Amino acid sequence: MTAIEDRPTTRAMLAQSSDAASRTAAREASNRVKRASRATLAWLATIVFVLPIYLAVSNTFKPRQEILDNPLGLPINPTLENLAKAWGRDDHLIQNGLLNSLLVTALTVVLIIPISSAVSFWISERTPKVKGVLLAIFALGLMIPPQVVLQPIIEILQVVHLDHSYPGLILQNVGGGLMSFAVFVYVGFLRTVPKEIIEAARVDGASEFRTWWAVVFPLVRPATATVGIFIGLWVWNDFLNPVYILGALQGQTITAGIYASLGTYSSDYGQLFGIMFLAALVPIVGYLATQREFIAGLMSGAAKG
Amino acid sequence: MKRSRLISVAALALGSALALSACSTTAAGGDKTEAAGAKLSFMVFETPALTAKFWDDTIKSAAEKVGGVEVQKVLSTGDRTAYAKQLLASNQLPDLLASINTGQLADLLVPYDEAWLKENFLIPDATAVDGKVYLPPVNSQAIPFVFYNKALFAKAGITAPPKNWAEFMDAVAKLKAAGITPIELAGKEAAWAASYPLVGTITADIIGKDPKWVQKLKKGEAKLTDANVKAALQKNVDLVKAGAYDPQALSVDFATANTNFVTTQKSAMYPMGTWMTGAGYIPADVADQFGVFPWPTDDGSVVVPITVGGTTSVNAKSANVDKAVAFAKQWSTDPKTQGVLVETDGAFPMLKNVKFSEYNAKVSPLFTAAFELATSDKVTRVNAFGQVVNDDALPGGVGDALGAVAQGMFAGADIDAFAKQLDDAWQKGMKG
Amino acid sequence: MSRRSESFRRSLGLAPLAWLAFAMYAVFLVYPLLYSVWQSFTNRSPLRLKPIFVGFDNYTEMFADDRFWMSLKLTLIVTVFVTVVSNVIGLLFAMLLNKNTANYRLMRTLVFIPQVLSGVIVGIIWNSMVTQNGLINVVIRNLGLGQGVGWVGTPELATMVVCIVVSWMTIAFCTVVYTASLQSVPAELYEAARVDGAGAISRFRNVTIPMIAPGVTISVTLCMITSLKLYDVLAVLTGGGPSNSTKSTAFYVIETAFSTNRFGYASAIAIFLLALTAVLSYITSGLLRRREAHL
Repeated sequence: MTAIEDRPTTRAMLAQSSDAASRTAAREASNRVKRASRATLAWLATIVFVLPIYLAVSNTFKPRQEILDNPLGLPINPTLENLAKAWGRDDHLIQNGLLNSLLVTALTVVLIIPISSAVSFWISERTPKVKGVLLAIFALGLMIPPQVVLQPIIEILQVVHLDHSYPGLILQNVGGGLMSFAVFVYVGFLRTVPKEIIEAARVDGASEFRTWWAVVFPLVRPATATVGIFIGLWVWNDFLNPVYILGALQGQTITAGIYASLGTYSSDYGQLFGIMFLAALVPIVGYLATQREFIAGLMSGAAKG
Repeated sequence: MKRSRLISVAALALGSALALSACSTTAAGGDKTEAAGAKLSFMVFETPALTAKFWDDTIKSAAEKVGGVEVQKVLSTGDRTAYAKQLLASNQLPDLLASINTGQLADLLVPYDEAWLKENFLIPDATAVDGKVYLPPVNSQAIPFVFYNKALFAKAGITAPPKNWAEFMDAVAKLKAAGITPIELAGKEAAWAASYPLVGTITADIIGKDPKWVQKLKKGEAKLTDANVKAALQKNVDLVKAGAYDPQALSVDFATANTNFVTTQKSAMYPMGTWMTGAGYIPADVADQFGVFPWPTDDGSVVVPITVGGTTSVNAKSANVDKAVAFAKQWSTDPKTQGVLVETDGAFPMLKNVKFSEYNAKVSPLFTAAFELATSDKVTRVNAFGQVVNDDALPGGVGDALGAVAQGMFAGADIDAFAKQLDDAWQKGMKG
Repeated sequence: MSRRSESFRRSLGLAPLAWLAFAMYAVFLVYPLLYSVWQSFTNRSPLRLKPIFVGFDNYTEMFADDRFWMSLKLTLIVTVFVTVVSNVIGLLFAMLLNKNTANYRLMRTLVFIPQVLSGVIVGIIWNSMVTQNGLINVVIRNLGLGQGVGWVGTPELATMVVCIVVSWMTIAFCTVVYTASLQSVPAELYEAARVDGAGAISRFRNVTIPMIAPGVTISVTLCMITSLKLYDVLAVLTGGGPSNSTKSTAFYVIETAFSTNRFGYASAIAIFLLALTAVLSYITSGLLRRREAHL
């Protein structure tokens, strides 16, 4: 057990008791009650907070009528019909969407990691003045709302004939604000890497590329995990860029595909819940699998501010 | 040496990544068969009447007859004209566009030849913009007519459908008193359905008296802040104040509104397009439970707000303009296709050379009632405000403003502010 | 070989990759930004062949545009609400859940889930709860408390719903950050404070707050940036209605560019949004940093 256990807060009150034994017993009883009530409170708060998720999941497994009649309850007649309907759509929304999302996400991450870690190392080796200027330029990408650059990006992609294409979407992912994020994570992490290790590699006569690839890149693995996890999540969940850059003809990523399937004219909540369930599965499983790195990544960001 | 190796490694990685993504794109696109002929993209939209199957069937049939084309559907989300503009802005305007506002996009489209129009359509210039037709005038709708539930009218003690505005307000009061929601409104659909009562009022009261009014607006001879517009706005505020709508109407989307009116029958009247008379909305077996009357005027004169439309506009920059035009002509004049539109979407057919019986459409008594009302020679037929795609089409953004104003009436009653909001949108739209 | 040229050769080995990064960043971020700035002084539109330079017309129009001010008002309300509420609730949540038993670990895992969901999914889930026949109204009816409420039916209610839904996502994020921050506080610090006779409140002020200060910086900044670029949740949840009351400035930019095709005007609004974001991040990060240093 760590840090802020709350056991001694009643100390002052209890200290007045003269009987040491009864004091201990009373304190233990009081602690038990406190622990139980804290756990109850914590569970209550948690349940209220995640209620919308419970609804989405439980309604995924309910027949249509039950969703309308009894949206809150557990599925009485659990059914896989909604999932089957979502999976079996004529337009293969789920299959194509998952495949497209996987592709866009994986290629973005695979391209952005080496490029941004190399440029970060390169920046770290510059003089403080140059470094400051470069980081200031990259800081721009951290705060720029994507809506500001979206339409010009589409025109640039038109010029190079990559408009409404997957390569176009991926390239602008790699070159845009996400790269700023990656650079800041890497540069921040590189500050904690002892200079001696890098110097040692240099003394051995390794080229700058080799130093980066063989020494620095393995050292910054935790930063790479952070970059991979967060950029992967953001690209997977991205809505704006796929909708407008990919457009209508190329099929869609799963996130944009869900939006497209929200017909004005239909209210088949069952199928919609099915689609959402299948779409959300990947990020949630990914998050559960990488929970520790996920949180560590956040904190590495927090530590350098 | 090392440097060049590095560059080639990087180039290789990048190249293979892009190549990979390029092939997966086609694999993921769904349709893997290689086209023999011209590829055409066709922006369509789905409604309860115009289902995915309808589009697939009719596209297939037209494509076979034209030959040498392969047509890919692009499904529009929400407002079709706005979506077409979105596709245009990202440089991917499809070759064919279904039922868009050609009044706003005429510069981008191919005009149809006059001979073909004259040969095939009852009113060849019904959709003309500056004398040119970009959308074949294949059928028409009235937007809105008021549909009503006969049983609920009887329950509230209303013996005949209202004939003028006073009787209409009286019916609202009676229904309200009987615990029935007087008017159904899909208030969440800001881009269209939310504004139908307002569209009805402006068309009936203003355009009914002055059919050239929209042209006057465009020339600056009339304004949306004029007294007649304010009077129409006031009538709509009065409806909200009289409790004509469910107080939650702005949370109601189109699907829910249809359920409320047709299935669960919670509400008695529904100002809507005449597509409601199609089997896609009100099934034929229950259609006789409903009746129809025009949006009422003060003096009881009957104004029918008509919009003539069609489905196929052709992108002038299409790589295969000729094929696209051939496909569009074929699709638009196929009696079988148009028959489905009549039956499921309640369309009033306007093909010249096809007799009504030849459409082979099973229509409901409600369709017949609406059709007779719309085509009667005792009524004034005018362009429905904001619904038409011809010279009277509104500038972009005004339709949205109409919806926003209609929604705003649930929270406030400042007529001057509403009129200004419409006028602002108009001024802005004229710049667009 | 001189030392200088050798170091040059060495750094060159990495330079191509670095230049590739700079080039991509220049093409996909810096240039589009400059392009947008230029465009904001024109009346560019895909419907028009040649754009005309219009000076500050777009900016003048923007400051006289009710729709713009409405969108800005919404954006600022959401930003303030979301930032304050998610940080306070996130911190409280983190303190409540900060125990290392399996039970609490499970709770933490559950609470963190909303922040890995996309805005689209979050919008759909909540939309299914707040529509006329949505879950909340069904529960109200089942409890016999009346017909329910049109949750997205008035501008005020819809704005409130938007604030709550966005907060729901950011609370999850803040809770993650604050939990991790709290767990990084060494237990000895609390012991020491306790030995010094510090009470719970004093310990919170003098030990907890300073130790989580970096967490505050990151949470506040993220909540702000999320709110300022808010679009996807709105598109799904309210579609910007009723009466455009839930169209954020970012939403208005997209609408102006892609639905009314006024690229020039859209760029002017976008540049304003960027300036606002820059100023707000500069001010808050300045304030928070100084506070971090003070503590």
